[in-house]
Amino acid sequence: MPKEIVSSCKPPLTARERKISHLLRFFEDLIKVPLFGCQKCGECILSSTGFVCCQRCPKRLRNGPCGGTGQDGSCEVYPERKCVWYRIYFRSSRLRRLSLLYKLNKIHNWNLEGTSAWLNVFKKRIDAPVGLVRNDKQKVKEQIADDL
Amino acid sequence: MTFKEKIDAGQFVWCGEIGPPQSCDGDVIRNKAKYFKGFVDAVNITDNQTAIVRLSSIASARILLDEGVEPIIQVTCRDRNRLAIQSDLLGAAALGITNVLCLTGDYQTFGDNPEARGVFDLDSIQLVAAVAQMNSGFLLSGTEMKKAPEFVIGAAANPFAEPFEMRLIRLYKKIKAGAHFLQTQPVFDLELFSRWMERAVAMGLHEKTAILAGVMPVRSARALLHMKEHVPGVKISDEYIDRMQQASDPKEEGVKMAVEIIEAVRKIPGVRGIHLMPVMWESITPTIIQETRLT
Ligand code: SF4
Ligand code: SF4
Repeated sequence: MPKEIVSSCKPPLTARERKISHLLRFFEDLIKVPLFGCQKCGECILSSTGFVCCQRCPKRLRNGPCGGTGQDGSCEVYPERKCVWYRIYFRSSRLRRLSLLYKLNKIHNWNLEGTSAWLNVFKKRIDAPVGLVRNDKQKVKEQIADDL
Repeated sequence: MTFKEKIDAGQFVWCGEIGPPQSCDGDVIRNKAKYFKGFVDAVNITDNQTAIVRLSSIASARILLDEGVEPIIQVTCRDRNRLAIQSDLLGAAALGITNVLCLTGDYQTFGDNPEARGVFDLDSIQLVAAVAQMNSGFLLSGTEMKKAPEFVIGAAANPFAEPFEMRLIRLYKKIKAGAHFLQTQPVFDLELFSRWMERAVAMGLHEKTAILAGVMPVRSARALLHMKEHVPGVKISDEYIDRMQQASDPKEEGVKMAVEIIEAVRKIPGVRGIHLMPVMWESITPTIIQETRLT
């Protein structure tokens, strides 16, 4: 069987789940939109990207910056803004969560767009948020050593 | 020897690059083929480079194959979603194309159709993983194929954009996803490039993949300045700009510079090949390769 590289949409959301999702979204938005600029992708990886939402990238990249980040860290598409992955890197570095950036994030399930990430975690559609990271430096070394 | 055989055998490889025309004139590609035949191992064919509509890379690749040149098709995530990418790749495999370079793609507002909807269904790393999965006999849906393609998977790396460490993480992820070879952005800053290679070698990444250094010959100081100011993610040492500005024959100086850079990067441990990418100046490729052979 192939590796799990796509975030699967099975089982699909039921009508009832969509209703609950809609309700939960209200509360989720109240927190995540002003704090993180959440784009409502429904498949939240905020906890592994230094609590900067990666979906604010115009290309919606989930695995790191494109090749166009400027020398001052500006975004290639909107030079007046900082590249979100530039911010993610430095924030992760400060929070000692760099080891999380080595993870391959799955291909996005666009079916979850606009749904509540909280419900999706609860229903195990998406991975649960990453809690505290201990010994970040050690973990980076382990990643490089045994994964390749 | 094919490109794949050379990479597997650990030999030094040379790649060129062709930008297809903004029309349906296949003869443009046919004519350009002669600059590469017998000089390089494979030739990149850009996929709507800088978001400008051009003759399809797969069609151009087939034309090149007929001319006896091995193509590497670039595939970007900007214009196609996962359905289209997979179907195009199957088509490419059926046409005898074996080398794929996975890219995210320039943003649509840089090109001639800035009003277009960008797709970005996958990113370049996920695309590498997707092609690797197709090689293993499965489509993204998990459906097993009766016949699996045998793609040589490539990806791009930019050692010159910020943040430096994040670029190494990206390189690591691309290799983990299954990239067989990596092509870097053009080197115009040897110090930074060797620092990056040093780190890649220290991480052991050069053993898992073939890293090819990008070299871009330029024919005028203006072209270099334009790149510095308008092309995102490139870093050019002032030394090169000064040299081009003071040169009496900029074309000759451009060739000299490219040859020098090639000589320098060849000596850096871990570099397994050169990717020559003269933008709209393909005809210079044989000259440069012959000069590096002489020195
Ligand atoms: S749900 Fe998606 S868009 Fe919203 S914060 Fe999380 S990653 Fe960003
Ligand atoms: S520079 Fe950063 S934010 Fe801008 S498109 Fe590239 S990855 Fe996204």
